[in-house]
Amino acid sequence: MTPSDNTEAATPGGVPAQAERPRRDILAVVVRFQSLIGLALVLAGGIAFSPVRRGTLLFLAPDNVANIIRAVSETGIIALGMTFVIITGGIDLSVGALLGLSSVLTATLLVNGGWGVLPTLAAVLAAGTLFGMAQGVISTRFRLEAFIVTLAGLQIARGLALVISHNQYINISYGEGAGLAPQAFAVLGTRLFGNVVPVATLVFLALAVIATVLLNTTRFGRYVFAVGGNERASRLSGIPVGQVRIAVYGLTGFMSAAAGIVHAGQFSFGSPNDGAGYELTAIAAVVIGGTSLFGGAGTMVGTIAGSIMLGALANILQLNNISAALQLLATGAIIVLAAVLQAIVGRRDGSGR
Amino acid sequence: MTPDGKDGALASAPVLLRLQGIEKRFGGVHALRSVDFDLRAGEVHALLGENGAGKSTLMNVVSGVIAPDRGSVELDGRPVRFASPRDAQAAGIATIFQELDLVPGLDVAANLFLGREPARFPGLLRTRSMARDAERLLAEVGVPLDVGRRVASLGMGQRQLLAIAKALAHAPRVLVMDEPTAALSTTEARNLFDTMRRLCSRGVGIIYISHRLEEVPQVADRVTVMRDGRVVGEERPDAPQGRLVQMLAGRPLNELFPPRAGSAGEELLRLDHARYVPRASPAGWQVPEDVSLVVRAGEVVGLAGIVGAGRTELLTCLYGEGPRGRWRGTIRVQGRAAALRGVAEARRAGLAFVTDDRRGAGLMLRQTVARNVVASILRRLSPAGFMSRRREGEAVQRAIRAFDVRPPRGELVVGNLSGGNQQKVVFARELLHEPRLLLLDEPTRGVDVGAKSEIYARLRELTARGLGVLVASSELPELSGLCDRIHVLRAGRTVAEFAAGADEAELLAAATGESVLEVAR
Repeated sequence: MTPSDNTEAATPGGVPAQAERPRRDILAVVVRFQSLIGLALVLAGGIAFSPVRRGTLLFLAPDNVANIIRAVSETGIIALGMTFVIITGGIDLSVGALLGLSSVLTATLLVNGGWGVLPTLAAVLAAGTLFGMAQGVISTRFRLEAFIVTLAGLQIARGLALVISHNQYINISYGEGAGLAPQAFAVLGTRLFGNVVPVATLVFLALAVIATVLLNTTRFGRYVFAVGGNERASRLSGIPVGQVRIAVYGLTGFMSAAAGIVHAGQFSFGSPNDGAGYELTAIAAVVIGGTSLFGGAGTMVGTIAGSIMLGALANILQLNNISAALQLLATGAIIVLAAVLQAIVGRRDGSGR
Repeated sequence: MTPDGKDGALASAPVLLRLQGIEKRFGGVHALRSVDFDLRAGEVHALLGENGAGKSTLMNVVSGVIAPDRGSVELDGRPVRFASPRDAQAAGIATIFQELDLVPGLDVAANLFLGREPARFPGLLRTRSMARDAERLLAEVGVPLDVGRRVASLGMGQRQLLAIAKALAHAPRVLVMDEPTAALSTTEARNLFDTMRRLCSRGVGIIYISHRLEEVPQVADRVTVMRDGRVVGEERPDAPQGRLVQMLAGRPLNELFPPRAGSAGEELLRLDHARYVPRASPAGWQVPEDVSLVVRAGEVVGLAGIVGAGRTELLTCLYGEGPRGRWRGTIRVQGRAAALRGVAEARRAGLAFVTDDRRGAGLMLRQTVARNVVASILRRLSPAGFMSRRREGEAVQRAIRAFDVRPPRGELVVGNLSGGNQQKVVFARELLHEPRLLLLDEPTRGVDVGAKSEIYARLRELTARGLGVLVASSELPELSGLCDRIHVLRAGRTVAEFAAGADEAELLAAATGESVLEVAR
């Protein structure tokens, strides 16, 4: 040790800038868990203002809770994928349109194509993944902003959906024979465990677990953080930056396709115009969840909590018959609050020295 | 500059600025301890100190960024108290910070008048009178710049001069310059010194903060050294470097540079008339045109050259990170022919690279030390695709210990460490990958003397174990002190080779293509 060439080591106790730190660290913790805290607050508000029927809180009734998660399952699934993209510093605007395309594709294959359930699922998921990867390839190969490429992707996906469906709903009727979908697919629109928990909710939760594991415990997850933290540093460290970028767009494509399948299952039709605006809801959930739009930082748990929080907020306002307009105002305010908190802490961490 | 002739005149020059008994605490840190400092009209007063010594804090007091807890600031003998940088500016104190406050997308004139643009009634700019005033201002400072050029197209040296011109628009009496030469080549620095001297002759006093000891005798009239928030002493600029180093570090540093190893081993890299042929050459990019050199195991080989000679470009292309294109000529890595297309291939061949752009391309600044150091070996830490927490923790501890990163805590955010410790993190990351040949570009830029000597010592330890190093630097004393051999690059060609301890004037002559006499003018 050479004690005097570094004031930090030389300061008695070695506690640089300690006085400022505690307060700031509380803030950092708040931001880290902002979506969970927000979720807790919304839940508390939900309980406080819940209408009561026959002595029980409507808000906490099991089927209401399940409903909240069902309502957010589609945008929630998309937000899982979006989290990866945003952590790399990118954005994917094509997800909502891709959901519409996937629902159309699912219905077409089941009803008109006479495909089985499993081949249909495999084909739709593969198509969504390839669509996403194609956007990733174009964006990395030609060094284009993801914003532009996925904006074009949005148009193309919507256009394809309209072409395939001839701009019409494709109804899914179940049964045996031509023009009828296999009964097994109907399970997506049902509820399990005593007819309480919607299957869509379970699909969301299962994918949420997989996404969390992928982001937090795998090499790929680390690559995602590294690429978003500093692309050049990542490349110089030997990380295959291009492949990582292509993979994350493939992942949002996969998740959008999954959401599209769930959509078709829940409503028993494929609709080319559905999913419009879902990309923004998903981005909102990710941002509320504490993921930085600049890339390099974020959590999957935050995204999941952010998604559920938005759903719970909508639910409690609906239960109290409060207008949709107020819902929008509340959502907007929460997004601003989340972003401001992040900016305050980000300024400290990003520009030290 | 010959201090002898000027000493008398300067000693009698009026004191412009006097700081007495300045105290400043940040929480538990005593940043300034009873600091006295003064500046006379027409002098350059160099302020030296390692990172954290308190020199930046002191200058923040001078320029009104922070208020001292105790002590007095006098300007022209009258006590002053600045509530803001604007106050200080109005009183005649201009500061040029390290991060230049220039807007790259705007032209020279627009930058000069940023925030106080002359406009007529509805808000329309008086562009023509702006350009005229800009030209007058630049001429006054002796900075020949086209006022219509976009700042983005200027070199770092020209930007530095522009920043000075901008500061001088307020006709300051005191000019504070924080590490102005950190990104400049030797020639650019010399230009800057000329401009500084011109200002001094008009009575401006300059406080000059720097890490580069060798610049002190060239530019300063007086030197004050700070350490741990105190002034440790004042020296004449021609004081021996060793003495200044000792004052800075607070310990006897027998040598900044460790002894050389002696014997070299197998050939790690051989370039024979190698040139890089890009498909399209980016503007301002000097491709390696004709490079011949050898690096052996155990050797540190230097690359000298002026800015634009193609040092960075050579290292970048060797690492497979250049613009799309291919190498021609002979390239052998550890005896085998190598194409070095892409970073992956270069790394497989045993190369590692430490960039000169630490903050831009070296680190994930907002992430932790741990996340940064393991970035180069994620594959090894995740055998089946899943990260092994245990192996990761071990690797982080090993890296932090090997390079003595301080404080030694992996969970700290890298952006909050000092420059020297950030650089150690970059080194640690690259060396975890266990390369055979390390490519270094300006390895000690913005790094204090203490961390510098640690990095040099560590490099020698590693070469003793068989690592080869190819290092590009614009600091000639560094090359001459550290390297076993030095190649000089000019316009992308290796034009000369020098042995250890090369004479700096000869190196500079080879780099510029001038004769030794011209260089020593």
